[in-house]
Amino acid sequence: MSISAQDLLRIAADWIAQGKQLIGPKRVKPGLVLYARLKDASELALDGFLRPANSIKEAVFPRHEVLYRYRVTGGAVELLDEEFAPAETLVLAARPCDAAALPILDPLFNWDYRDEFWNRRRAATTIIALACHTHDEHCFCTSVGLAPDATRGADALLYPLGDAHFAVRQVTAKSEPLVAGYRDEDWPAMPAGPPVKFDPTDVQAFLEANFDSPFWNGVPLRCLGCGACAYHCPTCHCFDIIDEKNARVRNWDACQFALFTLHASGHNPRSTQPERQRQRLQHKFRIYREKFGEILCTGCGNCTRNCPVDLGVLNVLEAMPHG
Amino acid sequence: MDNVYKPHLMRVLEVRRHTPDVKSFRITFQEEELRDRFSFRVGQFGIFSAFGAGEATFNICSSSNWRGYLDFCFRKTGRVTEALWDVEEGDVIGFRGPYGNWYPMEQWEGKNLIFLGGGIAMPPIRCAIWYALENRDKFGDITIVYGARTVGDLVFTSDLDQWERHDRVRVIRCVDPGGETPDWKGEVGFVPHVFERAKVPAENSVALVIGPPVMIKFTLPVLDKMGLRPGDIYTSLENRMKCGIGKCGRCNAGGCYVCKEGPVFSLEQLQKLPQDY
Repeated sequence: MSISAQDLLRIAADWIAQGKQLIGPKRVKPGLVLYARLKDASELALDGFLRPANSIKEAVFPRHEVLYRYRVTGGAVELLDEEFAPAETLVLAARPCDAAALPILDPLFNWDYRDEFWNRRRAATTIIALACHTHDEHCFCTSVGLAPDATRGADALLYPLGDAHFAVRQVTAKSEPLVAGYRDEDWPAMPAGPPVKFDPTDVQAFLEANFDSPFWNGVPLRCLGCGACAYHCPTCHCFDIIDEKNARVRNWDACQFALFTLHASGHNPRSTQPERQRQRLQHKFRIYREKFGEILCTGCGNCTRNCPVDLGVLNVLEAMPHG
Repeated sequence: MDNVYKPHLMRVLEVRRHTPDVKSFRITFQEEELRDRFSFRVGQFGIFSAFGAGEATFNICSSSNWRGYLDFCFRKTGRVTEALWDVEEGDVIGFRGPYGNWYPMEQWEGKNLIFLGGGIAMPPIRCAIWYALENRDKFGDITIVYGARTVGDLVFTSDLDQWERHDRVRVIRCVDPGGETPDWKGEVGFVPHVFERAKVPAENSVALVIGPPVMIKFTLPVLDKMGLRPGDIYTSLENRMKCGIGKCGRCNAGGCYVCKEGPVFSLEQLQKLPQDY
């Protein structure tokens, strides 16, 4: 059946017309595409770029979020009761490496304590992913079990057919109202994607055996500790909780900052940058896997593309003497 | 919506000033029905908040047998504790918890208990001491060695006086050399040395050791020399936390989330963790 770009924009326009939130790739200036809230369907960019520089995690996990508000009067305090009802949201043309991050993060936000900010936004969000027909040297989805046409985390997947048409694969019932009239039963083969660059099992074994290793004082020492990798990462989820203007808020945080683990006493368990790089790699390829059975990485390559010193996950993994 | 980050509002019943920069608060739930319903286990922690300043993590330092209120203790050292410092009796603060694991008090029944604490580490030991004394027949001899840099840095000294009056309880107070006053009647020396000199019998004992890393470092060899096995030595880690519920990503020591799998660890468990705490 397939869908034309024109019909896709019409679906997007209808969605916006219903007062709902549309998020998709937007060319914000020449050479820079970002996932952004679209005010008009015509802002949607469907080709001519590899992937947006940010990730879609902020559709469900905003970089800044009020957890609750309060009113202080003298020594008395009132917690304000506000119902949390996130806007119904469609993420259109998300890359598979972005869509896959959300189910990877579900167990983290739900072990013992259920984070309803995450859960309600997840429930209110429909994701129509767009398969990749190109990749660059920083992409490595195929090394972490994904692919240019992976459907994980997507409610539907679009395959670019090259003539401003897309083959449509409905993945979950959630996308049915949007794609039912266009869905295909056969989907075109996509390019194989980037070559496999490492075996995550070898990486995990290296990390287990080399917590203390001169390796961490080699390539990882290059890190400036700016946190750009974490802020551009689809799966990095560390956060801070602070008070701002009569509200308790959470803001994105990053394990590469020295303050992240600094004790009140002045002691810091991870006081050097190599120790913080080790934490980042250990968390993504060993700790998260042990805890939740998932690699905390979708191979999107954003960490390297946005690093001022060319030090992403892949650069560290490729320097590892594993496998 | 069930908001796991929303605290309970707590009224401050009593403020105790222990040193020029350490206070403890006794607080109770503003919601009356929670006062009876709330329970925790000694060793667990809470996330306490000063509205307008933020949240900070402290051990609940009252006994779990005390109903209707709880105690915590803090040193004025950052944004949140500076705001807490100015809180007065009757004011309202926030609390969420209890979080984390606890001291295995049932496992310690029938044993002699050795408590070793340094400085501001008395509060997380205090809850276990009161709990043991309130279940006196279940535990053997109790030895408490508590030290601080100076006499003025000792906290909960009136608790020490009360514990001392119990049978089969030995309380040893000490201050670092130079920290004594002319009328100081306790020991002078560092906790590990004072403890070693006290020649406490080790058999059938468990030890709870909490203090600055340097105190722990020099105390462990003493316990080892006495013959205590790593499985009988416990401590509580104090890693920085924000959420307290395993999500914000900072308190882990290797693959162990201290907020959920700790803060209480035996030395045997710690020896299996990488040096990441």
